[in-house]
Amino acid sequence: MIVESSDQVARFTLLKRFPVPRNFKVTPQSRIEKGRTWPAPVGASRVQAFEVYRYDPESHRNPRIDIFEVDLDDCGPMVLDALFWIKNKVDSTLAFRRSCREGVCGSCAMNLDGTNWLACTRFISDMSKPASIYPLANLPILKDLVPDTTHLFAQYEMIEPWLHAKTPTPEKERLQSPEERSQIDGYYECILCFCCTSGCPSHWWNGERFLGPAALLQAWRWLADSRDEAKEERLNALEDPFRLYRCHTILNCTRTCPKGLNPGRAIAEIKKMVIERGG
Amino acid sequence: MDSDPTVHIDPAARPRPLSPNIQIYRPQLTSVLSIANRITGVILSLGAVGLVIWLGAASAGPRAFGAVRGIVGSWGGQIVLAGCTFAYFLHLCGGLRHLAWDTVHGFELRTIYISGWAVVAASIGLTLAAWLASLFVAG
Repeated sequence: MIVESSDQVARFTLLKRFPVPRNFKVTPQSRIEKGRTWPAPVGASRVQAFEVYRYDPESHRNPRIDIFEVDLDDCGPMVLDALFWIKNKVDSTLAFRRSCREGVCGSCAMNLDGTNWLACTRFISDMSKPASIYPLANLPILKDLVPDTTHLFAQYEMIEPWLHAKTPTPEKERLQSPEERSQIDGYYECILCFCCTSGCPSHWWNGERFLGPAALLQAWRWLADSRDEAKEERLNALEDPFRLYRCHTILNCTRTCPKGLNPGRAIAEIKKMVIERGG
Repeated sequence: MDSDPTVHIDPAARPRPLSPNIQIYRPQLTSVLSIANRITGVILSLGAVGLVIWLGAASAGPRAFGAVRGIVGSWGGQIVLAGCTFAYFLHLCGGLRHLAWDTVHGFELRTIYISGWAVVAASIGLTLAAWLASLFVAG
């Protein structure tokens, strides 16, 4: 299948998951156990099952998979609606992040049927039967679908995502031509949902030191900005076997971006800029 | 601890679980071709050792070469050789794709998928062509 844009849902795949053991590289406290099934209300005619990752830090038990049967006639069309339906009508302890419910804030990023996306912009009708919902991959879990993103934001902070100016502050704005402004199109729109970084195998194995696609796309957003005057310093900070060069152009990032951005290209642009300055 | 009402449990007592990654993430053309490029690279390194053994046997004399030839000519040897041929072409075509990416070309998602499937098709085609050539032309 030729994928034209990242919002295309795979209709068919040979393998739903890589042929590795379920507990491959999994620490004992991360092993997933069987949970319970919450049946649909009596009389529901259109029922869809959702397998949902659950973890309760106060239970001192391992994560588990609960199965919720959702009455689709009583529920909105998006996956986020199904999560609200479960929280309101079945199990109020289900924890997940959400805010804008229209793909602008990036809070409800999670792993839906094996790939990262926003729960608010994925139709239930595009999900497998049963649908599977996990938190964003490869992150410490606070509760249920809520991951700890501290490390990801620390990596974002590391690229210093603000304007560095050395020239004196002008009386009015720092001007850009429309041509210069267009250089950051496709990069400034990032909502920091971290679907890409959480879907990057290189970040899974070297996430401590590799900055990951989200932070690197932001790094390019500032390198590409004509008003920024710290390109040398930015490139010096990035030119490192791990921070930048653990990207092996796998491109899971570009495939999964819910905003249709291209972290893979941003990283290639950085690598090219490093070479062109003679680094 | 007691003064902070938001802290109920000692975080050191039980480390937080890590959400699953490779165990659940869906294989896609992007990741599958990437890991295939790695694996074929390893196979080619081993194949290079085999090539050295073959050349060494050829220089050692007719007896050693005959023995190696017997192994390579067997069914098992032929299958391994066919696998190495495919690995060679997949790694070569994948490498050309990476070369284009290094010049910041071909990053549109559609192009990524077209070039990916082209790598798969070309590797199969080139492997078949190489084997047909070796069977019918070289004998």
